[in-house]
Amino acid sequence: MIGQIAQSLGKYMDVLAARQALITSNIANIDTPGYRTLDLNFQQEFQNLLDNGGDVPGAPSEVEGLRIKNDGNNVNMDRELRLLAENSIRFSAASTLAQGQIALVKSAIDSLQG
Amino acid sequence: MSLFTSLSVSASGMSAQRARAELLVENIANSETTRTPEGGPYRRKDVVFQQENVTSPFAGVLADQMNSGSVGVGVSDIVVDQSEPEMRYLPEHPDAGPDGYVAFPRFNPAEEMVNLMGASNGYQANVAAMTSIKEMLQQSISLLK
Repeated sequence: MIGQIAQSLGKYMDVLAARQALITSNIANIDTPGYRTLDLNFQQEFQNLLDNGGDVPGAPSEVEGLRIKNDGNNVNMDRELRLLAENSIRFSAASTLAQGQIALVKSAIDSLQG
Repeated sequence: MSLFTSLSVSASGMSAQRARAELLVENIANSETTRTPEGGPYRRKDVVFQQENVTSPFAGVLADQMNSGSVGVGVSDIVVDQSEPEMRYLPEHPDAGPDGYVAFPRFNPAEEMVNLMGASNGYQANVAAMTSIKEMLQQSISLLK
């Protein structure tokens, strides 16, 4: 039971890390002519990892509905910074929870040694 | 795709924005320069950015990079403004032509300052991204404590 929660948390953090990498790349390319914002479908990728295993989310896709600037670039700084902050907080929460799971196992081991 | 590669992506963004800011500052500094080694007045320069694959110096996981979609940025070209110089009538000027006109760079302070703000904001955004990636890495490490 503990193993399953920890495993789910691990996959959650994998998807968050993959998404953070895409956001970083979007921010780096904020002034690159012709660059299109990339992102992944969070829920779908997370569900896919839970159902099918593995720890690498699928290929990202271009985000629809963003305003394209004159140079063909559609990176929206506000969107990226919001997602950056959100992802960071989610990751922090997940790692705290995972730490709790590890502490549980540890305390079980310690009580055996008693 | 590792988080360490994302650090390199942010670093590529920072260096590209810095290169841009350097040229903009050069443009502002030379706004009144009438004499250059190539002859004629100074001509303003600007960068062209392009996507560039970056790899983490540590993890050589090239195959992994290929379909991750995460790419850095680099300076592909520096374009020199080819517009006509601004002619000012200054007969006493050492660089004045026979008609008394001096060629000055075509300089628009507002344009340069707006671009400089853009470069500065872009740099800061990359720093924010790098800080966030760094925090995630540290949190992952602290799981072992």
